[in-house]
Amino acid sequence: MARTRTRAHLRTTATVASAAALLAVTGCGAADMTKQASPFAAPADIKTVTLSVQSWVGAQANVAVAQKLLEDELGYRVDLVQTDEVPAWDALSQGRVDAILEDWGHPDQEKLYVEDKKTIVPGGDLGVTGHIGWYVPAYWAEEHPDVTEWKNLDKYADELRTPESGDKGQLMDGSPSYVTNDKALVKNLGLDYKVVFAGSEAAQITQIQQFAKEKKPFLSYWYQPQWLFNEVPMVEVELPEYSDACAAKAPEDIDCAYPTTPLQKYLNADFSKRGGEAAAFLKKFHWSEKDQNKVSEMIASERLAPGEAAERWIEENPATWKKWLDR
Amino acid sequence: MATAQAATGPAAGPGTAGPLAALRGRPALGKLLLLLVIAAVAVPVVHARWGGGIWPGALTVDLGGPLGEVNDWIIGNRDSHPLFLHFFGHISNAVVLSVRGVYLALLALGWAGVTAVAALVAWRTAGVRLALTAGLSFLACGLLGMWVPTMQTLALMVVAVLVSVVLGMLLGLAAGLSDRTFRLLRPVLDTMQVLPAFAYLLPVVLIFGIGVPGAVLATVVYAAPPMARLTALGLRGADAGVMEAVASLGATGRQRLLTARLPLARKELLLGLNQTIMMALSMAVIASVIGAGGLGDRVYQALSSVDVGAALAAGIPIVLLAVVLDRTTEAAGRKLGTEPTGPAALRGRRGWGAVAVITAAVAVLGRFTGGRIWPESGVVAIAGPVNTAKDWMVDHLYTGIPVIGGTADWAAHFTNWILNPLRSGLQGLPWWSVLLIVAALAWTIGTWRTALTAVLAMAGIGVLGVWELSMDTLSQVLAAVAVTLVLGFAIAVGAARSTRLERLLRPVLDVFQTMPQFVYLIPVVALFGVGRAPAAAAAVVYALPAVVRITTQGLRGVDPAAMECARSLGATPGQQLRQVQLPLARPALLLAVNQGVVLVLAVVIIGGLVGSGALGYEVVFGLAQGDLATGLVAGAAIVCLGLMLDRVTQPTTRRQRKES
Amino acid sequence: MSEPTTPVFSVRDLWKVFGPGADRIPGSEHAALPSTELRERTGCTAAVRNVSFDVDKGEVFVVMGLSGSGKSTLVRCLTRLIEPTSGTLAIDGEDVLAMDRTRLRELRRHRAAMVFQHFGLLPHRTVLDNVAYGLEIQGLGKAERRARAAELVEKVGLGGLEDRRPAQLSGGQQQRVGLARALAVDPSVLLFDEPFSALDPLIRREMQDEVVRLHREEGRTMVFITHDLSEALRLGTRIALMRDGEIVQLGTPEEIVGSPADDYVRAFVRDVPREQVLTVATAMRPPSAGEGDHGPALRPEATVSEAIEAVARSGDPVARVMKDGRLVGVVDHACLLDVVAGTGAQAVTV
Repeated sequence: MARTRTRAHLRTTATVASAAALLAVTGCGAADMTKQASPFAAPADIKTVTLSVQSWVGAQANVAVAQKLLEDELGYRVDLVQTDEVPAWDALSQGRVDAILEDWGHPDQEKLYVEDKKTIVPGGDLGVTGHIGWYVPAYWAEEHPDVTEWKNLDKYADELRTPESGDKGQLMDGSPSYVTNDKALVKNLGLDYKVVFAGSEAAQITQIQQFAKEKKPFLSYWYQPQWLFNEVPMVEVELPEYSDACAAKAPEDIDCAYPTTPLQKYLNADFSKRGGEAAAFLKKFHWSEKDQNKVSEMIASERLAPGEAAERWIEENPATWKKWLDR
Repeated sequence: MATAQAATGPAAGPGTAGPLAALRGRPALGKLLLLLVIAAVAVPVVHARWGGGIWPGALTVDLGGPLGEVNDWIIGNRDSHPLFLHFFGHISNAVVLSVRGVYLALLALGWAGVTAVAALVAWRTAGVRLALTAGLSFLACGLLGMWVPTMQTLALMVVAVLVSVVLGMLLGLAAGLSDRTFRLLRPVLDTMQVLPAFAYLLPVVLIFGIGVPGAVLATVVYAAPPMARLTALGLRGADAGVMEAVASLGATGRQRLLTARLPLARKELLLGLNQTIMMALSMAVIASVIGAGGLGDRVYQALSSVDVGAALAAGIPIVLLAVVLDRTTEAAGRKLGTEPTGPAALRGRRGWGAVAVITAAVAVLGRFTGGRIWPESGVVAIAGPVNTAKDWMVDHLYTGIPVIGGTADWAAHFTNWILNPLRSGLQGLPWWSVLLIVAALAWTIGTWRTALTAVLAMAGIGVLGVWELSMDTLSQVLAAVAVTLVLGFAIAVGAARSTRLERLLRPVLDVFQTMPQFVYLIPVVALFGVGRAPAAAAAVVYALPAVVRITTQGLRGVDPAAMECARSLGATPGQQLRQVQLPLARPALLLAVNQGVVLVLAVVIIGGLVGSGALGYEVVFGLAQGDLATGLVAGAAIVCLGLMLDRVTQPTTRRQRKES
Repeated sequence: MSEPTTPVFSVRDLWKVFGPGADRIPGSEHAALPSTELRERTGCTAAVRNVSFDVDKGEVFVVMGLSGSGKSTLVRCLTRLIEPTSGTLAIDGEDVLAMDRTRLRELRRHRAAMVFQHFGLLPHRTVLDNVAYGLEIQGLGKAERRARAAELVEKVGLGGLEDRRPAQLSGGQQQRVGLARALAVDPSVLLFDEPFSALDPLIRREMQDEVVRLHREEGRTMVFITHDLSEALRLGTRIALMRDGEIVQLGTPEEIVGSPADDYVRAFVRDVPREQVLTVATAMRPPSAGEGDHGPALRPEATVSEAIEAVARSGDPVARVMKDGRLVGVVDHACLLDVVAGTGAQAVTV
């Protein structure tokens, strides 16, 4: 009896304590967690910009150069956050990230955040044009020139079999975060292929490099600009021509090639207004595919640290970046 | 429905009915017979109604719509709804503030100060050797150029572990002092402990979004259960004689708790702390997927550019952190109740005082001489050589090696001959027969309760509508577990025989087990290509250490008297192994199987990142696309699968285990 | 022999029943059932059945029985470590069952301290802090309780081991710590629950001597639980012999050995060296004419074995039993041999 009573007593104490703790945490005022910065951000007296880095190297090149210039020329401290594309939009809307420098087109997110919630504003063109497509290695295309036409792909399905694709040819896709219609395309074009997801771009690149070393044929979802083309030359397979009408179809009915996308920058709305020099700089940031590839290559094939690669490019191309700093 | 019947039927129990009395001596056979009878009645009905093959569509519930709505609602209301502003917002705020506080404190201490603290604390709790290890480990983090990320991870860990420990102890106190709470909490905690870390990420992201708060909370949810579990077990396991003696002296409830029950549970509390730290560390790395930053982020970033060397440079500090934290807390647990050692002037409080003073001195000194951040000139780049080594290995092992073939050929054979038949077999099995098999397995090894849980979990997968994907994942798990067990048992038998081999293996196993699962993924792709084979390979590598360790311990723990007896009868080593060691080590072997299954599942899921497809891919997809409907359904299916696998391999009496 | 002073413990009709609906058993038609039948019918186990006794001030009251006889439950009922099912229970005339929590705690803190079979020491504390634990519970200051504990450590012969932990001590030493812890609170009654059964025979003997010494020096009241008959006979002023929760016989060691109440007790005491327990007062017969003049003189409480020795040494056929210089009886060879052989029909007179 005595024991149960003590327990009850203890339980009460515990309840009161936790309630008090909860009150201490929640009791006073509102806390908007969408406005909280990273705990690892630099102290408040330093001007800070947080950039989103996507996983591909092109994006790393953008960010590396922007970071270097922001730090060296404008005296900001730059924090990088690596996330996938869609979560990056979310983070951008919340202000945990100030800018995305390379977006490949996310109509849903654009509608939600830019049009409806107005928490994100467009930051203009990056200057680079992106294109997604199906690619085969150049060495294989040279032997079989007709493979670059989608109608002939079935002929080669046998050669492209892997344990994962079973009795069909393998069409390799990469990260689940990338925009892809491949399953629908295979179905709607009636191809004897199976889409195999590598699961991440890293895995996909590793596999492509491996195939290339062996001079084996492969068919892969890939995109331009991409540094890997320099290491493994690839040729695009022509798919039915892109049209806006086709792109407007439901995702499972799409049966045409991917569009050519001028890559976009996006800024958090607050940052765009109050970001001062940094916001102005990021809005003006604009370079060519060639520039981006130069930096990407240094990062990816020469294995330079992104900062170092950026520094080299900055040394060699002052004319390009000086314009971004103009008031 | 077959599930309900198969599950409730057993409640009557075998041997109660007259004809079954003969089976009393063979309970397993009795259970199976009873199950057979139930199946014979239920299956034709079920089959006629819903057919065989994969789970019938009529029995599924589509959660995609409602989950999508929840997702939209949260995004729409995150910055306005009171629930977020007044509750989650403050939690998130508190996390950010405390992580920031710890982080700034660590930076203020500087590398010299932090290294000094680590070494001195290790010295106080575990002696000179560990102090040396701790000091060198932190210096190594600096040398690898990972000082700042290490501090970020450490800051996140400190907060997450503190919260986990407080939360775990509160829960443990409640469960330790009240039978009802214990009965309620225990299965939940047991279950949480077997779930793959990946399954925790989505719900937190849903509420807190990407970033440190979500990462910390996912870590807390993952790391608090062992603390709660061990606190409860420790409090409940307090020596009844001592507790009675304390009561007989007229102690109040509070006095009983504070002066006796809690101190008596110190060993369990420290073991809990140890497990919590290890789990928090592993989660802190995985949580880089949702923006935890720190070392995990470096690993993740390096992997996305296929830079194994850089991934290793970030992975090594993780392993070093793990080793130092593990050994220190373990040593603290071992030291309990023994006489204090060392010069009298340094015992007890005075010793800790000395630690504080020396730390302060070193920190100040470091600040004046070298600055706080690790100097950039003192960084050794290991990424280059490592990548060269990896490239060489891949070049020479991938294919075309005479006779044994290359790794790519193995992967192809493994996929074609094992994974594919297994997958089509499982997917081809009528769904009710899968339930029956699960029931039979779980019931033979456990009680009707475990069987019921297992069957319900399996049925849950069907209801969620991801039966086919789950069978795919299951086939990968089964194949990888089989390989793990064959290799693990073989190595363990060797290690149990030879102390030298065991001593050689131990550090290797330690490292492999503490390595973040991510680090395995890229080398396996390089070696085995993309697909299910590399995921299975990574799973085998990850699960092997635990299996080897548990099995070796089990074989070594066999009663020496029994071994001596067998030897005296002239048994050959082979006979000793088969007839004495293996049967006597059965509980350990079962535990090894259980652990193997749990660990393999965890990695097979992460294998979604290297093309293992199935449920893992769905979770990765959900995280990457912010498609919580897909991700959460797959996450729930993983939970069910984990639950089912655990119950099917869980002997009736679950032993306390230490896993890291 | 009972004096008019209030007994330390006064126990009447005490029951302790474990199981569902335990409180309905005492006084019901099931109450008289043998234990196995009771369990089958009601699912309950009666650990203590209808027990009544008094413990007088200054005596060593031994409760003896085999394991499962309910003796340990009984002693725990005395301070309500186990809540009795029914009956009355008073300490120094105060109703224990009516005490509230605070009062009960006072009772445990100051009036009755217990020594346990498995010591019940706190493994994380030093010897000194274990001994001081009871005082700490009472809220005594650190210096004060340590000083007092140090005295007791010395007293039980553990001087120099103050800073050891229990795990570093032998079983006997641990029990000395347990004893010192109980003594530290200076209780009016000491309760022992089979304190020495986990110890080696030699150590056990030593500890028994310690208890005898304590009792002689301080005259503290003790309730002593044991399953060891020789221990009971050695220490007990009175012995209550329990079986299946009931007291089968309550009496002095001499009464138990000399006139067992039933076959159970008889079987129990069969191997006891009776001459060492029984006194000449039991064995003597009225003197015949002339027997009162010579022969060695003995006190009535002298044991038979002492009488045998005296008779054998003197060479006289009889020894005289003298009380206050008055002849109360004689013992001859036949009387003494009857005791040793257990053949005589002794009527124990006290």
